[in-house]
Amino acid sequence: MAADEKKKELLERLRNAVIQYDEDAAKEASREVLDVGMDANDAIFNGLVSGMEEVGRLFEAQEYFVPELLMCADALYAGLDILKPHVKQLDLGVRGSVVIGTVEGDVHDIGKNIVKMMFDVAGFTVYDLGRDVPLDKFVEEQLRTDSDLVCLSAMMTTTMTGMKKVIDDLRTKNPNVKIMIGGAPVSADIAEKWGADGYAKDANNALKDAINMISSLKKLKEEAEARKK
Amino acid sequence: MSITTMTAKERIMKLFAGEEVDRPPCFSGMGNVTTEGLKSLGYKFAASHLDAKMMADAASTTYKLFGFECGVVPFDLCVEAEALGCEINVYAHSEDLLYPTIKKKLIHKEDEMEISLPSGFQEKGRIPLVCEAIGLMKKDIGGDVPIGTYVLGPFTLAGQIMELNDLLKLSFKKPDKVGKLLALLADAIVMVAGQFQKAGIDYITVREMGATSDVLSPRVFKNLIQPYLKKIFDRLTVPSVLHICGKTNDIVPFMMETGAKAISVDQKNDVAESRKKLGKDALIFGNYDPYNVLVAGTPEMVKETMKKCMDDGVSAVWPGCDIWPTVPAENIRTMMDEVKKYRR
Ligand code: B12
Repeated sequence: MAADEKKKELLERLRNAVIQYDEDAAKEASREVLDVGMDANDAIFNGLVSGMEEVGRLFEAQEYFVPELLMCADALYAGLDILKPHVKQLDLGVRGSVVIGTVEGDVHDIGKNIVKMMFDVAGFTVYDLGRDVPLDKFVEEQLRTDSDLVCLSAMMTTTMTGMKKVIDDLRTKNPNVKIMIGGAPVSADIAEKWGADGYAKDANNALKDAINMISSLKKLKEEAEARKK
Repeated sequence: MSITTMTAKERIMKLFAGEEVDRPPCFSGMGNVTTEGLKSLGYKFAASHLDAKMMADAASTTYKLFGFECGVVPFDLCVEAEALGCEINVYAHSEDLLYPTIKKKLIHKEDEMEISLPSGFQEKGRIPLVCEAIGLMKKDIGGDVPIGTYVLGPFTLAGQIMELNDLLKLSFKKPDKVGKLLALLADAIVMVAGQFQKAGIDYITVREMGATSDVLSPRVFKNLIQPYLKKIFDRLTVPSVLHICGKTNDIVPFMMETGAKAISVDQKNDVAESRKKLGKDALIFGNYDPYNVLVAGTPEMVKETMKKCMDDGVSAVWPGCDIWPTVPAENIRTMMDEVKKYRR
C-alpha cells in the first residue's frame, strides 16, 4: 500500500519535473525511483514521457513555445540518463535507430531538433548529423550505422530538392531502409512522389505524430507486459 | 506636383513621413533579387554576394525588369555575423540557389558569451562592400526608387553567432546574460546601420525573425527583446521598419512601441485585426506569402492576394520575407499591375 503510494508520488514528480522543466527535480526523482527499486520502464513511460505528452499539448495550445519545449526535453534527458541503464528490456519490438539531419545549404534546425528529441524519448538510437549536411553524408552514415530509418529535414524550397537526391541514392544502395522527410515546404504529395516512406506536416502535426508514436510504443509495451502476466 | 505623377520614391518617402499617398506602394525592405534578373546579367547567385557591382546590378533588376518600387542589398543574413568574426559559406561550388550560411559560430558555450566588438568593427567583412553597392545603386536607380538595406535584430544576430538552441534556453535560464549580449549586439547593429546611412540609404529594415512568435512567446519578446530594439530605433536616422514573421497579432503593439516608423508582418498576421488594434495612421507593411503565392501561385491567386492585403488595410504591399528568386515574371508583373490599379 505504502509502496504503491510512493510509486504514484514518484511518477507524478517525474511528470511535473518535465512539465516544469526542472532538471534537478527530474534527477532527484529518478534516483529515488532506483532507491526504492521501482521499475525503470514504468518511471520512464508513465512519468517522464507522460510529462512530455502534456508538454506537447501545451505547445500546441501555444502556452509553451520552442524554448520551453527544449528545456522540458533537457529535464526529460536528465531523468532518462539515470534510468536508462536500469531498464530491463527496452526491446519493444519496434526499437530502432535513426539517422537525422537538415540537408545541405539549410541551417534551419529548430524543427529537426524537436523531431530528434521525440526519437530519443522513444528509445531510438539517434545519429544526429546536424544542419547543412552534405548529401552524401546521409548515405554514408546510414551504411556505417545500419540504421532502420533516415530522417531528412529541409525548410527551403531549394534545399528541399536535395532530399530527392538522398532518397534516390539510398534506395539504390540500401533498398530496405525507411525514409521519412519533413519541414515546412515538404508535403505528403512530395514525399510520395519522391518515394519517401513517411512524412509529418508542421510543428504541431510532427509533434502529434511523434507523440502518437510514443503512445503506440507505450501500448505495445503494455500489451507485451499483459502477455507476460 | 500632382499626386498622380508621384515617382515611387516620392510616394514611399511621403508614406514614411505620414503624408497622404495615392495608393499603397509595392516594395520591400528585404532581399528581392530574382533568377530572371541574374539571368539577364549572366551572373551566378553565389558570386553576387562577394562583388559590390554584381550585387548592385543584380538588386536593381527587380526594378528595371518589373517596376518593383525599391532597390535592396544585400541578399543574405550573414553580414553582421561575418564582421563580428564568424566564417561564412557562400557555396561557391554550387550551381543551385543556396543562400550563404554561417560556417563557424563565434560563441560555443555559455561562458564564451562575454564578447567584445573587434576594433574597427564597422569596416570589417562585407560592410564596406554593401556600402559600395548602396552607392552604385543610388547612382543607377536612386532617382526613381528608394534604396534600402537591412540589418538583423539583436536576438536574430545572437542566433547567428551562437547555437540557437542554447540562446533560446538561456533566454529563460539566464536572461541577464542574454540581455548583456543583446545590448552589445544592439550597439553593433547601430554601428553597421550608421555605415549604411552614411552610404546613402533611404530606409532601413531591422529583421528580428529569430524572435518570431512561431518560436518565442510574446512575453519573452516584450521583456527580453523589445528593450534592445527600442535602443536601436532610437538611434536610427532614416525611416525604419521592424520585421517579424509568424503569428504576430499578439505582439504588433509591442512592435510599434519600439519606435520603428513602420512594422512589417507576414501572411500569418491577420492585418485587418492589426489595423483595428493599431489605428488608421499606423504604418503596417505586408503581408503576402513570397513563396506560396508569388512563386508557386497562379496569376489569379496573386491578384486575389494583393487585393486582400490592400482591403485588409496594409500601408504598403510588401512580402512576408525575402522574395524568393525563382518567382515567375508573370506573377511579379501581375502583382505590380494589381497594386497600381487599386483605389481604396
Ligand atoms: C527561424 C528562421 C530562420 C533562422 C534559423 C535558425 C535555426 N537555427 O534554425 C535564421 C534567421 C538563421 C534563418 C535564415 C534564413 N531563412 Co529562415 N526562417 C525561420 C522561420 C522564421 C522559422 C523556422 C522555424 O524554426 N520554425 C519553427 C519549427 C518548430 O518548425 P519547423 O521547422 O517547420 O519544424 C517542424 C515541422 O516542419 C516538422 N519537421 C521539420 N523537419 C522535419 C523532419 C522530419 C523527418 C519530419 C518527419 C518532420 C519535420 O516538425 C518540426 C517540429 O514540429 C521560417 C518561417 C516560418 N515561420 O516557418 C523562415 C524561413 C524558413 N526562412 C526563409 C529564408 C528565405 C531564410 C534565408 C534564406 C534568408 C536569407 N536572406 O538569407 C536564410 C537561410 C540561410 C540558409 N542557407 O539556410 C524562408 C524560406 C522560403 C522558402 N523558399 O522556402 C522562410 C519559410 C520564411 C518565409 N516565409 O519566406 N531563418
